[in-house]
Order: sequence, then C-alpha cells, then structure tokens
Amino acid sequence: MANQLPRVGIYGLTGCAGDQLTIINCEDEILALFGAADIRSFVMAKSDNTEDEMDVAFVEGSVSTEEDLSMLKDIRKRSKILIAIGGCASCGGPQSGRALEKNWKDRIKQVYGNTKFEIPDAKEHQPLSAHVKVDGVIPGCPIDKGEFLRAVSRIVNGDMPIAYKYPVCVECKYNENECLLLKGIPCIGPLTAAGCDSVCVNHNIPCVGCRGPVIEANVASEYKLLLEKKFSKEDIVNRAMMFGGVKMAELLENLKGAKK
Amino acid sequence: MKKIRVDHLSRVEGHGAITVEIEGKKVKDVKFEILEGPRLFETLTIGKLPEENVSVVPRICAICTLSHKNASLRGVEKCLGIEVPQKVALMRELMMLGENVESNALHVYLLALPDILGYPNAIAMVDKYAEAVTEGLTLKKFGNRIMEITAARATHGENPIIGGFGRYPSKEDLLELKDTAIKLLPAANKVVELLGPMDFKYSEDEKTTFACVNPPKNEFGYVADSIILSDGKVFDAEEYTKVTNEKIVPHSYAKRSSYKGAPYTVGAIARMNNLGDRLKGQAGKYYKKFSNDRWLTNPLYNNVAQAIELVYDLELLPGLVDKILKLKDPEIVKPNRQTGKGTGAVEAPRGTLYHSYEIKDGRMSKVDIITPTAQNLDDSERYLRKTAQKMLEKGKKDDEIKRHMEIIARAYDPCISCSAHLVKLVRR
Repeated sequence: MANQLPRVGIYGLTGCAGDQLTIINCEDEILALFGAADIRSFVMAKSDNTEDEMDVAFVEGSVSTEEDLSMLKDIRKRSKILIAIGGCASCGGPQSGRALEKNWKDRIKQVYGNTKFEIPDAKEHQPLSAHVKVDGVIPGCPIDKGEFLRAVSRIVNGDMPIAYKYPVCVECKYNENECLLLKGIPCIGPLTAAGCDSVCVNHNIPCVGCRGPVIEANVASEYKLLLEKKFSKEDIVNRAMMFGGVKMAELLENLKGAKK
Repeated sequence: MKKIRVDHLSRVEGHGAITVEIEGKKVKDVKFEILEGPRLFETLTIGKLPEENVSVVPRICAICTLSHKNASLRGVEKCLGIEVPQKVALMRELMMLGENVESNALHVYLLALPDILGYPNAIAMVDKYAEAVTEGLTLKKFGNRIMEITAARATHGENPIIGGFGRYPSKEDLLELKDTAIKLLPAANKVVELLGPMDFKYSEDEKTTFACVNPPKNEFGYVADSIILSDGKVFDAEEYTKVTNEKIVPHSYAKRSSYKGAPYTVGAIARMNNLGDRLKGQAGKYYKKFSNDRWLTNPLYNNVAQAIELVYDLELLPGLVDKILKLKDPEIVKPNRQTGKGTGAVEAPRGTLYHSYEIKDGRMSKVDIITPTAQNLDDSERYLRKTAQKMLEKGKKDDEIKRHMEIIARAYDPCISCSAHLVKLVRR
C-alpha cells in the first residue's frame, strides 16, 4: 500500500444502512477520506463502482439470504482485509435478537402466513464471521464516526483497528455518571463494548447494549447482579439480546439457567 | 420476450431492482422488487417490554430512525395512557424537523438534482454547481446536528423515551440551532426557486390519491392522530387499515398497500397536495406560486415539494426553539395502565408511517408497522409501467427507458431506492 492509494470497497448486506450512512455523514472528513483511499465501490453513495481486487472491504449488515451470502463470499475472495462494520455484521444485529429461541420459521409464518415466495428463502440472520474469515470489527448500532475514521487511518498506514477490550462502564465512570444498576435500573453497560463514550447513560438512559458484547464479558456476574435486583431471568436475557444477537446468544448459552 | 432490468439500485440503502418485461411493443409487467432479507421486526419484541420495543424498532431504517422512534413512542404511549407535556411534544417536533431537513436535503441536492441537471452524480456537478452541492451538504449536516442535540446521536439516538426525554438540551445548543436555521433559510429558498418553475417530463401523467397525516388546527406538520386523503376522506389513525389494506405479494418481502382497490401515494408531494393551503410564510408563498395541476398527476414534483418543506422546516424552527426555551424540563410521565391498544402515525420524510401496538400486562402483544416505501410501491410500479409503455410506442431505446425508470423510482425517495445506475439488460 506504500506507493498507491489503498483500494477500498464499502458494502451493505441486510440491515438499516446506518453504518454506511454514518460514513456518508462524515461531511467534514469525507473529502479527505476519498483523498486518502481509492474508494472503488460504495454503492449506497456513488454510481461509478468497480468490483475487483480490494485492499480493504468494509461490510455492513447480517447474512440472511442467498444473495447476502454470495455477495459476502465474493467480497471475501477479492479482498485482502475484510472489516465487519456495525452490529449486524459483527453480532447479527437486532434482527437476530431471538436467535436463542431458534424460532425463525415460526416467525416468518407470523408475518407472511403460508405465502410461497418466488424469491430465495431467507434464513436466521448471522454475523459475517459465521460464514467467512473476518479480519477486524468496528462494532456499534450504528458505528461511531470517530472510531471508523481512526480505523481507516490505521489501515491506510498498514495497521489494524483496535477493539475496545473494556466495557461501557469504564467510560461511564470517566464521565462521572451515577451507576444506574445501583439505582436498580437494568443497564447492560457491563456486558457491552465501550467506544460510545457512554452516551445513553450520560442522558440518564440505561445502556441498551448496541455495541454488542465486550470481549470476555462477564455475563455470569451481570446476570447474578440483575437477579439480585429482582429482574426476571427472561427480562435479563431479553435485555442482553436486544442488540447482542448471535454473539450474545453464544455467551448466554454457556450460562446455566438463563436459556429459555 | 425481453426484459429490461435495473439490477442493483445504487445510492440507496438496501437491495432493490426494477424489471420491465416486454413482449413486442407491449409492456407485460413491471416489478419493483425489494430484495432485502426480511428482518421480522414485527415479531422481535413480542412478549418484551415497551421500552425495549422503542429501542429496537427505529433500527428498521437509519434514515427514518426518528420517525420510527416517534411513531413507536406515540403508539406505546396511547397503549399505556400517557399524555406528554407540551415541552416533550415540542422537542419531538424539533427532532422530526431535523430528520426532515437531513433526508430532504440529501434527496433534493445530492440524488435528484443530478438527474434534473443531467449529471451522473452530485460529485460530477461540483464544477458548475459547487454552491448548490455545498449548500446541500451544509443543510444535511444541519439536519444531523438537530438530531444530535435532540436525540443524542445523528443516527439511532436513544434520548427520546416513553413519557419524555432522558435529558434536555442546553440553552446554548438550542440557540445554535435557531441561529443556523436563520442563516440557512436563503439556501433553501434558492433551491425552491431553481426547482419550482421546472417542467418535469420523465414520467407520464396520471391521477392518483394522496394520503398524509392531518394535523389539528388546520396546520401543516408531520404528526397527527388523523389521516387525510385527497378524496376528502378523513380517518382516525386507529383506522389506518382502511387506508393501507396491506397484502402480501410473492415477488417481494415488502407487503403492498392499496386504498379503495387502487394504488396511492405518500410523501412530501402528498403533504403538499393535501395540506399545502395551510402553509404560511415563505413556504406558503412558494406553494401558491409553483403548485399546479400536474402536481396531482406526476410523481416528479415530489422533488419540489421536498424543497418547499426545507423552507417550512427552517422557518418553523426558530419559533419552536423560543417556545421550548420558555418551558421547564418536565418529569418523565409514568404509565397509568399496563394494557391497551394504540396507533402512532407520523410523516417520515418519505411518507406516512404507522406503528400499531397492543400491550398486555406491560408486555408487547401485537406489533404492526407499515412503512411509507411499502405504501408507495404499487403507485410507483403504475407510473413506471405507463411510462415504459409510452416510451416503447415512441420507439425509445432501452437505455433511455432504463434511465427514466430510475428517475421515476428515485423521485419517490424510497428508502431502498433513490437511484439506479448499475443497470443490466436481460434479453430472451
């Protein structure tokens, strides 16, 4: 990457496009971004897209349809580095919020009845890592603008993005917020990767977990704490699963007694 | 049989396609396909707490996130018998202005103007129209700033909660919004003056029905508990199914809506056609000056309607901020019941959005969400089909037909569409 600009592709699978929108919302930095990298494909933002070898691919969204999967495999094949951006790509997203219950087919029926679709079947939403090798993750629902730009500058300079290895609580303490758990409010900051500057708790709102589980999240301890605060097993699991998706489901499955 | 296919709509969120099937000189079928995987949002929060629903459902769409938030809050609050104080209602109105400014600026300046002025995209316009592109970006950024200040984040902010707001913005932040709105109004005026006199020829003209919310006191606005149609009928928001009549089609995971057995249109053009007479100030003057009979028959005028809304938003904002500043921060309103039904209707930038709920013993028991893009699909297909047929009869080339198909689809400002430049032609 030394002499020529790194070739970058920005893609979306199934999701709300909030991570790509966050990149488009870098109004002050977007020109510098286009100057520091050769953005060859960004279908949501521009029309003249070239689909060939990429130095870096950023992929948003979960994998649900055959189209999602073949697109992801194709991107993986022609990209040296593949980075999952956002909650859907990294954890499965809110749409996999019932992954623990394994009831996808019943729920399709609830929404569409017995309709025979002419388009390919859709399956339970999975994060990218369920299907291909993922080299790095920028989590969040949506991603944080600053974290994305820092990740890009690291990659452009031949390095990799750094994951936040501590929970939201650390940032919350720096911000001198009163702990909501101590007030008996169900906050899942302890399970959630930092990087949001504890924005919700700064607004007196409990963390909803939109950045997904922090590496080595102590689920057992949070679970016990919330049980002591008189929350039901079901509510604790629901809260953790709002944005934790498939990744949180894996952690919860290891936890005896929490599974529904 | 020949198929013209707009295969992957670019500059959009999500996967969409348009297929035109042609046999000889006749258009057999036009399908606007939504290829996005189904996320089953209506099943995600059943059995869960209303506050969890309010956090999760805005993730349906990043561009309409606060419209989803507001519709969801209104639906839940009706179920739980919550009436919010005036300051909360005004703050929600302010956040809706933010979303409308951001979304309309993005569509008018960066997606529609290139079509209208004959450029492939906004970046290519910079040489000749640098000022317009810069003003578009500045307005879009201002919309995001309003959302950051009211909702805590430009996208998927969690500050609006059931019964109020987590935290109220500072006086400095609110005054910054007021000052910026005053500064940016001339830019919005300019884009209306540019688009207003234009004669749009991309789509064939045909009558349709328009639907939007019907704000009280004969006012223009984006939130109400009743729905007004261009045939004069008014429905309570709770009767929304009488307007939408949703059905499933096998070629798409998006459900379709129809009113009295025919397609209808929602969005800025519907708001202008149904409520334009209620506009005051400069926005009202522009409506009187530029609206004409073709606004009732041609979807392309949606672009002008969106530009006039930018003027409405920026004119309304300073007074709204003054009102908010006079009011004390209220306590969060608690539910007075745990079981009930309720429908929240709001105008997302691209049209009427319904969130209809039932809550039983404090748990979500029914969720029905109808999005504006889904409501517009049948009508957009109708205009696409009619235009394709006319162009075939006139012997137009495939490429030109495709270009017009993209421009018509984009005029609806659908969340999955906007533009379509990666075009594939399938011949059989």
